[in-house]
Amino acid sequence: MPQEYTVKEFFEENSEEFDLEVLTDNLGGPIPITSEDIHRPAFALTGFMENFLHKRIQIIGETELLYLESLDKGQVADAVARLFSQPLPCIIVTKGLDVPKKLLDLTVEHGVPLLRTTMQTTEFIHELTGYLELIFAPRTLIHGSLVDVYGVGLLFSGRSAIGKSEIALDLVERGHRLVADDVVETVRHGDAILGRGREHLKHYMEIRGIGIINVMDVFGIRAVRIQKRVEVVVQLEDWDPSKDWDRHGLDEHYTDILGIEVRQVVIPIFPGKNITVIAETIALNHMLKVYGIDAAKRLDQQLLDMMESDKKTRRYLLYDHE
Amino acid sequence: MVTGKIKVLNETGIHLRLANEIVSAASKFEATVMLEKEGLEVNAKSMLGVAMLGAEQGAELTLNIEGSDEQDALDTLTGLFETNFGREMI
Repeated sequence: MPQEYTVKEFFEENSEEFDLEVLTDNLGGPIPITSEDIHRPAFALTGFMENFLHKRIQIIGETELLYLESLDKGQVADAVARLFSQPLPCIIVTKGLDVPKKLLDLTVEHGVPLLRTTMQTTEFIHELTGYLELIFAPRTLIHGSLVDVYGVGLLFSGRSAIGKSEIALDLVERGHRLVADDVVETVRHGDAILGRGREHLKHYMEIRGIGIINVMDVFGIRAVRIQKRVEVVVQLEDWDPSKDWDRHGLDEHYTDILGIEVRQVVIPIFPGKNITVIAETIALNHMLKVYGIDAAKRLDQQLLDMMESDKKTRRYLLYDHE
Repeated sequence: MVTGKIKVLNETGIHLRLANEIVSAASKFEATVMLEKEGLEVNAKSMLGVAMLGAEQGAELTLNIEGSDEQDALDTLTGLFETNFGREMI
């Protein structure tokens, strides 16, 4: 999570997407953007200064501008001056509307960047908030490999050299898609955890004995994917005969990533075991569970029904005196 | 080779979770552990095998154990059945 995000960065990354133009010379505002929320300063213009959330991006739309138009010159100066009573990161005017001279003058005077978008206010706020949520979302780096297997995001984790990269490579060879190897950047988006590779490490892989390879060069564009939701964490562990491994799968296990519970499957591994096929099965079984089909639960229920009926027969015969 | 007779005390019979406990316990021994119900004999170290028995409450089973730690295995498994795997007995 970036502690702060400068208006300059914001503009450079989004000027096209949001159709933004800069109306002031500078982009270095008095304070950086520190919140994913925005603020509409209509009340501050009218003089109600309580809850004026000045640290947020200020959006000025038609409402604010119509209000300013309704005032006489002196009142406009006072109203606009209220906005600048506290430091602002930037002001964005929507719908490509004309900016009153007084507002422009004061933004220049206070060194606050003034931007303008051609987008409609509601649509702009919706998209801007969504974008800022991603920028300020909690994120962390995880040591592991993320692969899209039949559309299910499997994150392989485990001690180093246990063979995560080799499994990922094997899956890619079978037509699945690599998202990131070794270092996965995860970000929380709503209730989902999204994973992707670090910008410069994208789709590179280190295979012991070969060295560095680029999966996209070796296997082509269909072998890679930029981003994928992490749906199941496959924890690889060395086989330990004294440990009890899950045999029935009736209980779901979860692991915490950035405060979100993600399904976890612990797989014991030993030489010669085909983890790739197991990984594909984990993905398919996960999809079945999403569709409400749980093999373990169904088998257990069938067993219980069968035994219940056998018990009834037994009791019937026990008390059947003729 | 040692043999022992046991009775299923659990109200709902040997369901998957219970089968898991039997398999876990049996797997700790080197000996071959077989479980028999009405002529059907299965390996007690196999989840699906034990589940296949469909042993309901009151069913009588036979344990056939062979190996270096057979007596130990028999005592442990018999003990588990007699105490209904630490579950409430109804």
